[in-house]
Amino acid sequence: MAGKRGDHEYVPVHDIVDGKELRTFLEERKLKVENLPKIFSTDPQAVKLGAKEGQVIRVKRNDHSNEYLYYRLVIK
Amino acid sequence: MQAEAIEYIRFGVISPDSIKKVSVAKLTVPDTYNEDGYPIDGGLLDQRLGVIDPGLVCKTCGARAKTCPGHFGHIELVRPVVHSEFAKTIYMILQATCLECHRILMDDERIEEMRKSLAEESESEEAQHGPQQKRIRNVKKCPHCEAPTAKIKLSSPTYFTADERRMKPDEIRDILAKISSDDLRLINIDPTITRPEWMVLSYLLAPPSSVRPSITLESGERSEDDLTHKLVDIMRINQRLDQNINAGAPQIIIDDLWELLQYHVTAYFNNETSGIPPARHRSGRALKTLAQRLKGKEGRFRYNLSGKRVNYSARTVISVDPYINIDEVGVPQEIAEKLTVPFYVTTWNLEYAKDLLSRTSYPMVLNIISRDGKRKRIIDTNKDEVLKGVVAGDILEKQLVDGDMVLFNRQPSLHRISIMAHKAKVLPGKTFRINYCTTAPYNADFDGDEMNLHVPQTLEAQAEARYLMLVPYQIFSPRDGSAIITNSEDGITGMYNLTKETTYLTNAEASYLLGICGIYELPKQGKAGMYSGRDVFSMILPKGLGYEQQTAHGPFRIKNGRLAEGLITKETYGRDNGLFVKIAMDYGYEELKDFIYISSKLADAYVTLCGTTVGVKEYSIDKKLEDERSIIITETFSKVSKLIDDYRNKKLEPLIGYTLKESLERIIISELNAARSHAGDVLARHEDETNSAVEMAKSGSRGSILNLEQMSMFLGQQATLSGGRIKRGYYSNRLLPHIAPNNIGPAARGFIVTSYYSGLSPVDLFMHAVGSRGSEVYKALLTGRSGYLYRRLSNALQDYYVRDDKSVRDVNNNIIQTVYGGDTISPIYTQFAKLSKE
Repeated sequence: MAGKRGDHEYVPVHDIVDGKELRTFLEERKLKVENLPKIFSTDPQAVKLGAKEGQVIRVKRNDHSNEYLYYRLVIK
Repeated sequence: MQAEAIEYIRFGVISPDSIKKVSVAKLTVPDTYNEDGYPIDGGLLDQRLGVIDPGLVCKTCGARAKTCPGHFGHIELVRPVVHSEFAKTIYMILQATCLECHRILMDDERIEEMRKSLAEESESEEAQHGPQQKRIRNVKKCPHCEAPTAKIKLSSPTYFTADERRMKPDEIRDILAKISSDDLRLINIDPTITRPEWMVLSYLLAPPSSVRPSITLESGERSEDDLTHKLVDIMRINQRLDQNINAGAPQIIIDDLWELLQYHVTAYFNNETSGIPPARHRSGRALKTLAQRLKGKEGRFRYNLSGKRVNYSARTVISVDPYINIDEVGVPQEIAEKLTVPFYVTTWNLEYAKDLLSRTSYPMVLNIISRDGKRKRIIDTNKDEVLKGVVAGDILEKQLVDGDMVLFNRQPSLHRISIMAHKAKVLPGKTFRINYCTTAPYNADFDGDEMNLHVPQTLEAQAEARYLMLVPYQIFSPRDGSAIITNSEDGITGMYNLTKETTYLTNAEASYLLGICGIYELPKQGKAGMYSGRDVFSMILPKGLGYEQQTAHGPFRIKNGRLAEGLITKETYGRDNGLFVKIAMDYGYEELKDFIYISSKLADAYVTLCGTTVGVKEYSIDKKLEDERSIIITETFSKVSKLIDDYRNKKLEPLIGYTLKESLERIIISELNAARSHAGDVLARHEDETNSAVEMAKSGSRGSILNLEQMSMFLGQQATLSGGRIKRGYYSNRLLPHIAPNNIGPAARGFIVTSYYSGLSPVDLFMHAVGSRGSEVYKALLTGRSGYLYRRLSNALQDYYVRDDKSVRDVNNNIIQTVYGGDTISPIYTQFAKLSKE
């Protein structure tokens, strides 16, 4: 079996998002960080990125024909 | 829905102290009223518990019957009894504790371990408890005092024994009381909220009289509530027990009465407790006690809290009317006269309002609601007075008339189009009438179905109904964007026949058809003074429409509002089509709705005019086809027997990922399926347009080539649920005794070579029955399961909404999805999106 855990082609690209991008995203939508969907810090993708509780992970999702960004708050 | 976030809800057991605290009266007399019909002090309807008779004043709060909320009282039980609903919990606690030292049956090491894991992972508490309990049950000796553990038994509902010795409630209470708070935490009980000894009752809370009001019958006799009856029983036994104890009666008598008291208290909480005979009324009817009030479909939750009843609604049988528009609903005159729509009187419509008020026949005003909210019925005697007094701000309740917005619903309301807004059309008769094009979203038919109608009562509700729920806006299904409100079956056949290239109509025929559609001009004449069917059909198309589509019947082309080429079939008109979408995009939903309505009238008129029929004739086949059928069957059989020979001689090439046996099975199945589709092709090629069954299949109005083939060629392979061939049934690896052992040929495994027309042989019939039963069972299971799955989904998703930034949110503003559906396109508009891309 090739590839590391959490490295499948079907899994969309996950990144830890920096403060500025997150701030604009939240402000534009009048959101608090807690309003974002959650992701466990034990999730394979979070483990791969070494994400810590409280950080936000950006997912480049590709549903149908459109690409869009999805943000998930890392929780324990 | 805007919700305040609830931090938590905590349930616990009420303590005797709390009971005494909330209680306003200690009840001592096991009776309700004295001879004068006056509530007895200390009785079950003591006036301190609140009053229900008008005129009396509550002795606790001083309010009268309407405003007094009622107050709890209490009964002191002379001997404690087990709360039957907590028997299981008590049983669990007793099993986990030592009866000598009252410690939990875990050694210090494990206790420490538990404590740590509880502190760390409060969430997985429950997962921890299951295995712990099991381990505790096997402990033989108390790890703290070395005393051997007793075997606790609970025989339902409330009879406890320890090593075969009866444990009375007071003993149980004393044991429970001695368990330390620290130990309780280990068995998932928070001692600050719930002490286990509270599960054994010494005080019983008596609900206020307003919870169990007595009813005064016409004869002046009083009839008490079931709960009061049960409380009387409890108090009576309680009193007798007290007397016996004080008189120094023998222990047996005391124990008997004690057990009787336990029984009554158990029945008071739940009269359906297993292990006790239900307490009965004098008439023999089982009493409805506390649990019965809350439980089940007729309980407080499902009946009164989740289920609300409404006014301004009507229900009756539905029937068809193809001559009312699809956004209308025919309302019986009788119903229209009872239902009302509010009319808001202003200074500008005051004169009109007065005209309405002075009417003496339908449609007239039934009630007037004055500005102070008082509703007054208008009758002949007060009409003049009301007429003089009407001012701006009053609301008139006017009878339902044509064009009023109403909501129409058929249960089960599985999706949002189970409720749509229609325009009322008042008609004679006693049934609701709907156009058959709208039966699909309701899943209605006219074999006795009933439907509900609701009249929105505010202008806001009427506007919402008009602009969100009206039938034209629901034409496209929220499932995939295909049209769900559409013409079907004979209607499709009608249009198919009308738009055939060979169809020409006389002047009389064309005039008749168009007249029915409300069109009073003719298209331009074709050859020999006749009118082509396509030109007649084109008359009902929206002016200037342009549309093109490739179909199985060749190109379909509408140019400048004229059908230039192609046929109307299910492909071009009906569920999966671009034509409706094109009309909706270019002309709007209203125009589309009228197109569906008028085309259905045209189609019905034409199909009635030219007639269409199906008989056995359609399914009989001639010699030539019969020969073809035999050839297909013999060829297939020889192919399969060769495969089997190859398999037996180990010459068969296995398929990738399958064993040789599996490969053989798969190849055989695909061979047999190929035979059937081949037969279908032959049939379709052979039969011509004069066969109306073929015509129906081709136009898509009803049936398919497969159906035809099963009726006239052969039935083909009967499959099991798993999709494989049938193989079990009789012993020695065969289906029936008629089949040789180890025969795995087509006929031996459910391949039927006869048709419905030719008749099935007994063996074939058996095979067919196996298949039918399988699919019938599957269908029954599938509908139940998928229905429940859908219900859970829609309940879970119901309060989600799409914000203006196209993100999906819940009521607490949490993001569910940043971009709705990933592409912001509602399924309803998927077809629109496709069409506008082209």
